Amino acid sequence: MSVDWPRLGELMLAHLRLSLWALLLGAAISLPLGVAAARRPALERAALAVASVIQTIPGLALLAIMVPALAALGAFGLELPSIGALPAVLGLTLYSLLPMLRNTVVGIAEVDESVKRAALGVGMTPGQRLRRVELPLAAPVIVAGLRTATVWTVGMATLATPVGASSLGDLIFGGLQTRDHGAVLAGCLGSAALALALDGLIRAAELGARTRRPRLWAPAAAALGALCLYALASPLAGLAGGERPLRVGAKPFTEQYVLAELVAQRAGAPTEVMRSLGSNVAFEALAAGDLDLYVEYTGTVWTALMGREDRAPREALNAEVEAWLRDEHDVVVVARLGFENAYALAVRSPEDGGPRITRISELAPLAPSMEVGGDYELFGRGEWRSLEERYGLRFEAQRTMDPTLLYEAIDAGQVDVIGAYTTDGRVAAYDLRVLEDDRDAIPPYDAVLIANGAFARGRPALIARLRTLEGRIDDDAMRAMNRAVDVDGETPARAAARHR
Amino acid sequence: MADLIELDRLVVRFGDVTAVDGVSLTVREGELLMLLGGSGSGKTTTLECINALVTPTEGVVRLRGEDVRSLPPHALRRRIGYCFQGVGLFPHLTVAENVGITPELLGWDEARVRARVEALLARVALPIEEYGDRLPDALSGGQRQRVGVARALAAEPEVVLFDEPFGALDPITREQLQAELRTLKEDLGLTSVFVTHDVLEALTLGDRIAVLREGRLLQVGTPRELAEAPADPYVTALLEAPRRALDRLS
Repeated sequence: MSVDWPRLGELMLAHLRLSLWALLLGAAISLPLGVAAARRPALERAALAVASVIQTIPGLALLAIMVPALAALGAFGLELPSIGALPAVLGLTLYSLLPMLRNTVVGIAEVDESVKRAALGVGMTPGQRLRRVELPLAAPVIVAGLRTATVWTVGMATLATPVGASSLGDLIFGGLQTRDHGAVLAGCLGSAALALALDGLIRAAELGARTRRPRLWAPAAAALGALCLYALASPLAGLAGGERPLRVGAKPFTEQYVLAELVAQRAGAPTEVMRSLGSNVAFEALAAGDLDLYVEYTGTVWTALMGREDRAPREALNAEVEAWLRDEHDVVVVARLGFENAYALAVRSPEDGGPRITRISELAPLAPSMEVGGDYELFGRGEWRSLEERYGLRFEAQRTMDPTLLYEAIDAGQVDVIGAYTTDGRVAAYDLRVLEDDRDAIPPYDAVLIANGAFARGRPALIARLRTLEGRIDDDAMRAMNRAVDVDGETPARAAARHR
Repeated sequence: MADLIELDRLVVRFGDVTAVDGVSLTVREGELLMLLGGSGSGKTTTLECINALVTPTEGVVRLRGEDVRSLPPHALRRRIGYCFQGVGLFPHLTVAENVGITPELLGWDEARVRARVEALLARVALPIEEYGDRLPDALSGGQRQRVGVARALAAEPEVVLFDEPFGALDPITREQLQAELRTLKEDLGLTSVFVTHDVLEALTLGDRIAVLREGRLLQVGTPRELAEAPADPYVTALLEAPRRALDRLS
């Protein structure tokens, strides 16, 4: 568990850039709006209502929703990158509005009535009254709002990782997945340190200015100014001009991390691996051209993307998926990797106190007294409905948890059945028994490397190199790589490099 | 004496309430005119029409014959000193900065502002060396009120409006400030309009007194004229009060 200092430093800077961009944009919106709203009750009500509603949206959802929102702008001829820094900054900006807006309105409203009257009485114009009296007197309250927004935004910026922007969240999401607790801790502490440092600088600048101590406010203000300039100097889109690196996506689980590294190594070109993308985020980003490549599973396309509930034999289904990707989204299948990672139901083996069964049909009569655990997606997916219908499965309770915790939960007897992935190294490591799907409720899940169509046509040599992955990874090879990371603590890159 | 300010048939309505109901009045150059009345008499509203803090529903206010609405409000207010009970000193500015604010807004050069502030603070017994750099929070109530008076006088205004400036002070401080104001007025030849509900204050300070009740002007005249020929039973009753108090002392 050693700390990768250069990477931590890089991620802290990236985290700082995202946070400061969002805070500066947020302040540029909420301060003028707050000033305007302070004199117009109708505007105040409307602005605060909108900002409050935004605040109630869970942070991860708010950032994730920026991806389709930006992609939709493409339909109006506005081509913006839909993953990466832009959606992250926009989401964070929206999130930062409420504390700054509310405190600006309240700060100005709470300036003593006799002072406002005096400001007019001595002959100030409304603008002079605002600049010379109301804003200076409201400053402590406004700055308190800015500080709240700063701490929230820096904390929230860890959620930029799933929309494809580098941040300290990379350490947290990746570390949770690969059970690297040191990385998780480094991500959390790094983000806390950034938040406290920014908060302290703002506080020092405000306090020094209010108490007229230049030796306090001048260095703090200079440091803040330098940080803001640094953040703004890095272009928001991050890809203005120049040859941009290959972008390979990965959904948030070990196998995807390993395969993304494998693709990057095989491509032999500068590559940026975007880890921990949500399932739909990854596909939308690929279709929009913000992502070049990632590994998808045919069954996922069939059920989650095409919305199909029926079942077809493997070859027919795969052919239909391939045609749909090409015709509907201009996405090409580069290679079928050779293994399948299906959803499956797993139980403890009889030696560990599990039931003496091998097929799902045998599970049905036992289910009413059993608890089942699944990852975030399982119970919402078509396969689950299909399992319930075809086998008449009714469990005593359903529990949703993080995939990394599922295996420990079944091992400890807290659940009796889990939704597992067939290639997961931990199925063997925890000595679990995968039940046979004897009524074909679950479609085939062949792993396929898919690419954005325009990208594939533009880089034929690279695509040719990647096509050599066709059929090169079988179930056992994939399971071994997953096991190396999940159980033995290898890095995904190292596990991928060992595959030949 | 020439008329400096003319209120011509002023009416001010707030919704259904008529606060000022047809008041016509002149303020002469160099005089201290008291607006005397109880609460709801319309005295403060009348005063605030002069520096355009209130816009009359009907009627006109003229400053040197010129309709005050023809000037931008901030430009008008820089020609008129204003001092009120809450004082409204700017808490984030020093005493000297508070006093110098209107000259500064008028674009006086720094040295002239400084000299003016120094002279005024000396006049109100708050020497600049000792008090100039203090924040208002570090002053007593009476001192704050003095700073308020100095601020109102700072830009050499043509007229100063006082809205019960000494209302919240203890009687001894109040009397002291009244005496100082009287001296200031004599020395500077100040024209001012002074709102009060205190008959004694009106009689002590005023060259003339305008008695207001329920938005109407009942009578205007010197203290002696009011005492000798009250035009209304309310005026008679008002002047009875100090007389009765004096009788009890003798």
